Amino acid sequence: MVVYSFYIFDRHAECIYKKRWLPRPAVVGKSRANSELPAPTNGLPAAIGQSDRTTDDDAKLIFGTVFSLRNMVRKLGGEDDSFVSYCTSQYQLHYYETPTNIKFVMLTDLKSPSMRVALQQIYINLFVEYVVKNPLSPTEHPGGIGVNNELFEESLEQFVTRVLA
Amino acid sequence: MTVFSLIIINKAGGLVYQREFQPGLRKLSTNDYLVLAGTFHGVHAITRSITPKIPLPTNPNTIPSNSSSHSHQPSTSSILTTHKPSPSISTSTTTPSTPTPTAPSSTSTPSTTHALPIPGTPVTGLEVLESDKFRLTCFQTLTGTKFLLFTDPLMTTVEPVIRKIYELYADFVMKNPFYQLEMPVRCEAFDRHLGGWLRGRV
Repeated sequence: MVVYSFYIFDRHAECIYKKRWLPRPAVVGKSRANSELPAPTNGLPAAIGQSDRTTDDDAKLIFGTVFSLRNMVRKLGGEDDSFVSYCTSQYQLHYYETPTNIKFVMLTDLKSPSMRVALQQIYINLFVEYVVKNPLSPTEHPGGIGVNNELFEESLEQFVTRVLA
Repeated sequence: MTVFSLIIINKAGGLVYQREFQPGLRKLSTNDYLVLAGTFHGVHAITRSITPKIPLPTNPNTIPSNSSSHSHQPSTSSILTTHKPSPSISTSTTTPSTPTPTAPSSTSTPSTTHALPIPGTPVTGLEVLESDKFRLTCFQTLTGTKFLLFTDPLMTTVEPVIRKIYELYADFVMKNPFYQLEMPVRCEAFDRHLGGWLRGRV
């Protein structure tokens, strides 16, 4: 199975962490670094503008999607129902929300099984351990402060490449 | 098998049909169903646009050049040259994990520098949504009408049900001379056959 990307949103609807994995080793890099490339100003083709959009604004689109779907599911299934995942013909999106309204979103390929447990493990074993229990990390994470620490990023990388691969 | 309800959304995102077959989901007001249909229509379009794109290694100039600005010039030209789907793209690539799309399928992607996760398959929006209590299957016809079927999450074969519903829709709604396109469906025969067929399956 392939993991395409992973996002964490806090309760203020802000994306506090995003990470994209690309199947090509040459282009594996942090999406944050990619999105801060010099903006294409003059006659660059639409291809570059497109990739620029996908790295930076995808998080906003994904938040809007999961937020709408979560509300829709709650409206239809009752307050204790929870949105788990959706799939299209090309990819799958998995969703897990903690009781404190932190939202974990993962995009994978269609062959992957349900990732709800995996997202829960990322929350319990990685996020709580390395972000919440970090005394230097603030309680809120505006702009990703506190989440982008080395331990969390490294263990997330390991989790996705070893456990999920 | 449990089919909770059916919603039909026209190509503009308006609710044209809503019917509950078995209890299990919360009842909403008509207004809420209209909002739900519109919201789903929008979300469906967004889920199609956030399809992950896999960059093709056709132009190695663009990939390592993260900082230097002078290397943008060759990358631009190489993108422009690869813009027309030439067979040399697929031959020059050395892709170990993902196959490159065939030339005609690149019409579905806006740029030829990216490949779809599953090349050759058209990009669709949300098809199946799962929650703890229900599964929502969305079937979009070629004309843009969406059929939303809410079923039990344990039910496995939703596809034939939704096909049959589409067939009944074609027979009793589209062939009804008094039906106005894109308007709410008020066809007794459709209601009757739909109810009868689903009851017969239980």
